[in-house]
Amino acid sequence: MSPVVQSRGKKIAAADNLYTVILAVAFLVVLTAAVFVAYQCYTQYDTIFKIQ
Amino acid sequence: MSTLTKVLIVLLTIASIFLCGIVVTYVANADNYKQKYDTLYNGYQAAKKNEDNAKTQLNNTIEEKDRDTGKLGEQIASLEEDINKLKSDLATAERDRDDANRKVNNWAAIVMDFSKTIENNEKLVKDALTERDLKEAELIKQGKELKDTTAALMENMAIVKQLQEGSKRLLEEKTELQNKLDQYLRQYGKAIAEPIPVTPGQEAVRLTPPTKDIDLNGSITEVDLKNLLAEISIGAADGVKEGMRFHLTRGDKFICDIVVLDVWPEKAVGWLELIQDQPQDQPQINDRVSTNL
Repeated sequence: MSPVVQSRGKKIAAADNLYTVILAVAFLVVLTAAVFVAYQCYTQYDTIFKIQ
Repeated sequence: MSTLTKVLIVLLTIASIFLCGIVVTYVANADNYKQKYDTLYNGYQAAKKNEDNAKTQLNNTIEEKDRDTGKLGEQIASLEEDINKLKSDLATAERDRDDANRKVNNWAAIVMDFSKTIENNEKLVKDALTERDLKEAELIKQGKELKDTTAALMENMAIVKQLQEGSKRLLEEKTELQNKLDQYLRQYGKAIAEPIPVTPGQEAVRLTPPTKDIDLNGSITEVDLKNLLAEISIGAADGVKEGMRFHLTRGDKFICDIVVLDVWPEKAVGWLELIQDQPQDQPQINDRVSTNL
């Protein structure tokens, strides 16, 4: 995964692992938001999905 | 990995972060409706309980009010009876008060009158006492004057006695003269009027006493032409005296004269004079006689 040093006259491109990290960060953000929403629902209504 | 995939990965990541941020912000700031519901529900239940309690209390109060209303109605009725009684008592008391006021006013007026009368009496007593003092002083003065007057009177009495003797003598002389004059005048139906006393010193000339008409009227009751006598219907009770001359008339005609010879209380007899020759001019019964024509 180390960056490849391109020869002179070629475009510098990021490694593929970077996009994996970005995807991982996105997943973590979505997971964190889902957990927070679930926690709020449980604390406020004593359930996550059921409507009383 | 293709470029498109890479771009999609980046866009997905950015969109995820953006949307998750929005969701987290919304959820963090969202209202706790369950808590609000519980709070409102509890408040509702408490209010309902309060309403029930209030209704119960209201019913109790209404029942109590009805009971009190009944009691108060009875009390009002009894009080109205009392009021009517008191009104009648008040009217009676007012009548008594008016009577008493009238009596008081009457008594006050009577007392005022008595006071005025007493004041007047006191004034009269004072005036009478003052007058009595004045009279006593005057009496003492008059007593002194009386003593002097008595002494003077004693002196004058002696003089009066002498004058009375002289007067007595003059009176006797006067009586004799009057009798003579009376006899003379009676023949002509006149009499001497009461003499008016005249003070000799104040008159220059002494007048003769005036005469007045006797004015006696009567009628003939009997006639005796043989003896020339006639009886008339009036006598000494009417003032007829011996020697009095009457004129005998019939209507407007002169018949003759009658000179009275004898007098009784209710009749008199007289002598006929100046009798005329004609038979119709002779004196008759019921012819009129009078002292004056």
